[in-house]
Amino acid sequence: MFQTRSARLRYHLVAYTLLILASIILMSPLFFALSLALQGATAAPSLIPTDFTKLDWGVFAAVFEQQPIIARWIANSFVQASGVTIGVLITSSLLAYALSYLNFPGKTILLFFALGSLMIPFEVTLIPNYLFISRIGWKDSYQGLIVPFLASGFGVFLLRQYFMTLPRELYDAAVVDGCGRLRYLWSILLPLSRPALATLAVYTFLSTWNQFYWPLLVTNSNEWRTTQVGITIFRNFEYAVFNIQMAATLIVMLPTLILLVLGQRQLVRGLTAGALKG
Amino acid sequence: MNIDESIRTTMSLTHTPSEGRYEALKVWLARPRTRDLGRALLYSSPALLIFILFTYWPFFHAIYLSLNVTNNQGDAARFNGIDYYLRILALDGSGRTEYVESIFLSFQFALMVVPAAIVVALGLALLATLRVRYIEVFRTIFTSSIAISLASSGVIWALIYSPSTKATTWLVELLQIGTPSLLNSDSTALPAVALMTVWSGIGFNFIITLAGIQAIPQDLYESAAIDGASGWQGFRFITLPMLSPILLFLVVINTIGSLQAFTQFQLLFMDRAQTVFVHQIYRAFWNDNRYGLAAAMSLVLFAILLILTIIQYRVFDRKVHYQ
Repeated sequence: MFQTRSARLRYHLVAYTLLILASIILMSPLFFALSLALQGATAAPSLIPTDFTKLDWGVFAAVFEQQPIIARWIANSFVQASGVTIGVLITSSLLAYALSYLNFPGKTILLFFALGSLMIPFEVTLIPNYLFISRIGWKDSYQGLIVPFLASGFGVFLLRQYFMTLPRELYDAAVVDGCGRLRYLWSILLPLSRPALATLAVYTFLSTWNQFYWPLLVTNSNEWRTTQVGITIFRNFEYAVFNIQMAATLIVMLPTLILLVLGQRQLVRGLTAGALKG
Repeated sequence: MNIDESIRTTMSLTHTPSEGRYEALKVWLARPRTRDLGRALLYSSPALLIFILFTYWPFFHAIYLSLNVTNNQGDAARFNGIDYYLRILALDGSGRTEYVESIFLSFQFALMVVPAAIVVALGLALLATLRVRYIEVFRTIFTSSIAISLASSGVIWALIYSPSTKATTWLVELLQIGTPSLLNSDSTALPAVALMTVWSGIGFNFIITLAGIQAIPQDLYESAAIDGASGWQGFRFITLPMLSPILLFLVVINTIGSLQAFTQFQLLFMDRAQTVFVHQIYRAFWNDNRYGLAAAMSLVLFAILLILTIIQYRVFDRKVHYQ
């Protein structure tokens, strides 16, 4: 595509300069957090560490020593995010299966019912849900953090779209051969739908891990907080200690960053599912 | 299976009426469509139960609460009609307009966030289509903010704006706002939160825009190049029109997201008197325990989001280009 070598060189030079510049600007808040974390317990940190030989890498271990509760917060977030993810996979695939393979009166209504849930904003259901959860004594519990999110309109939509692309003959043939409906779902449909399930799993885990509003309301005692709420509490009682605060923030970011790097393809597929429909 | 069904239907027609309703019921129950209904209900019931318990019932409960004055336990204490709605929309004649102002503030916030978010995403997506090695690495970097929660981001940006870290002191001095932090001044607090929100949303907006650009057929550019079109003309007359459905989607999603922004205001706007609508809802609900008022506010938000979605689709439907 290039006429001469120098044109090719110029293209690459400009391209890499722009790409690297954009990356540095984008990452600067993270560099800032890392810089503050590594400068020790000072109330007046500088923007860029003055002495790179004296960086305090032990701060990440120090977080767990000084604030052992953070391990519990991470565990809480893991239980919540995994619980919601597994639950959403089960409920969504069952409902999507009924909507794409079974023929019954009221099917359209059921579809609208599932997708209509996406039209009701979280803020509206928040207050009644909070009152309900506190009344049945589910504050400060895993049930309270997990159960309200066990069904997802997005999940039903995503899996139904995927199930519909699989050949119908497969289902008819399996039924003729005496395969039960549930067995078809479990041993044929779900293995075939692994890409869609992975997408839903990555997306659900990520958004649950990053929840802030709901855990803020339904957790009261320190040991029931999740990571997202936890790091903001840190901010209140450790106000002057920037290094611990930033190190903790970077630590709780790690699981989702790893998930993003490993599951980027799945995530991208899920995020674009709503936007790109031909 | 349709043959099966038609045989049964024919059978039911040949039955004499004297055999009664019971037989008809039995035939109806034996039809595959009916048998599937039972199964469908069984498979749907877990999801349906959750939708009913935690989405639909609360929705109607919120409407009920919004029409009542509630006690501290959240029970309706006295019927209030639409007084809360009138109060929120400043139609009750008291002249108190703080809720309308906070709705206005929410829209101001969305107007700051949405155009900036889309321009940045478009620029990064164009950069990410450059044909160089290791472009995947840069794409991952541009996507990374998806994995960073608003809470983490809020905690970091609170320190970026904090006078003690001196990260934004130069900006405070440049703007001469007369306060130690951007977050303390009325004129810069909202743009400061908007900047943080744009940063947090970059990953999502970038990924969607990039996917949209990659979906544009390459031969369009090739034939344009043969006709002598410049790179800019290719962008203006091919990329932008072909991308318009995606950009519309991003406008809708980002507007709705901005109007619903809570975490960043909870972290950065802590005790500011004037704040955005969703944060006001939280204060009415959490700080003041005024569940009825807060429910009415949340339903006003619901109406705003609904109207906005409808308008945006109507307007853009005529202007966007679908292939």
